[in-house]
Amino acid sequence: MNEEILKTVEQLIGEIAGEELLLAHPIEMTTSFNADLELESIEFVALAEKLQQRYGERIDFVGWISNKSLDDIIALTVGDLVRFIESCRS
Amino acid sequence: MPIVGANGLAFHVTELGAGPAVVMAHGLLIGTLASWYFTAAPALARAHRVRLYDLRGHGLSDKPKTGYDLATMSADLGALTADLDRFDLVGHSWGALVALRFAIDHPERVGRLAIVEAPLPPSRFADEQKLFASTPDEMIDALPPALRDAVAGGRRQAGKLLASLKFLAYESSLLADLRATGDFLDEDLAKIRAKTLLLYGSRSSCRGAGDRLATMIPDASLQILDGGHYLHLDAKDAISAALEAHLA
Repeated sequence: MNEEILKTVEQLIGEIAGEELLLAHPIEMTTSFNADLELESIEFVALAEKLQQRYGERIDFVGWISNKSLDDIIALTVGDLVRFIESCRS
Repeated sequence: MPIVGANGLAFHVTELGAGPAVVMAHGLLIGTLASWYFTAAPALARAHRVRLYDLRGHGLSDKPKTGYDLATMSADLGALTADLDRFDLVGHSWGALVALRFAIDHPERVGRLAIVEAPLPPSRFADEQKLFASTPDEMIDALPPALRDAVAGGRRQAGKLLASLKFLAYESSLLADLRATGDFLDEDLAKIRAKTLLLYGSRSSCRGAGDRLATMIPDASLQILDGGHYLHLDAKDAISAALEAHLA
């Protein structure tokens, strides 16, 4: 389950930010969106939109980030996102 | 990604939550709809249908070389809200000026209005914008601290941000449009019927504009929050709470 979500996140990051980013930075659970991938905030929004489209309304991404500080959001990792999506589906 | 055609361009639009409609417009240059998405929009989305969009030339919307004046950008807003009868309107900086222009021209469309850090007169914005500095390093120095730190360590983000700034500052009519924008007339401001919240930063150079708007807009209240021009970054929780209370 985790693996499938991780693959999906990787594929969508490639669509949004370009495949060359994936070559430079293999996506792992510990990969940070900001420090490692250097995604722009608008690219992170695009990722959230694509995940919503893929997994449906059950993924309350905005509810999830609404209680986080900006520092917490900046520190998010791929693993944080994968575990959040998994929790919405179970 | 939700892309909506309006005024001959493709705009990136996203919606959060459900309830009475609120439309939020971000500021120029370093702003995108992410400015609201990661700050005040999630709190408002608990009780509202919040519509965010990337202004022309910004984020994932089309990047035309012209049309950065308030009349055209207010028309963009009108086209992107044509399906809504009436909505509350929130704007930051130049986005707040777009909101003011729209509220003056279309009073029947706007319920409540929230103006965050609108600079007056509008042309002053261009003169004070250190982001129009001549070198990339000077542009970086002029960013708000949180963003500057994020960019300092990241070549990819810095490169993309600078490319966007260079396009807007040097290849589009944005700077000329800003400089050519006349001031709002007192008699126009006096026509605004919407209950209006004015939010300004304690350390912002725009504060005088807040005082003027508080005097001229009939049903306005002014709140000073602890922070500078980028209030949504400096005071995320305070601005969220103030907007939630105003739009409740």
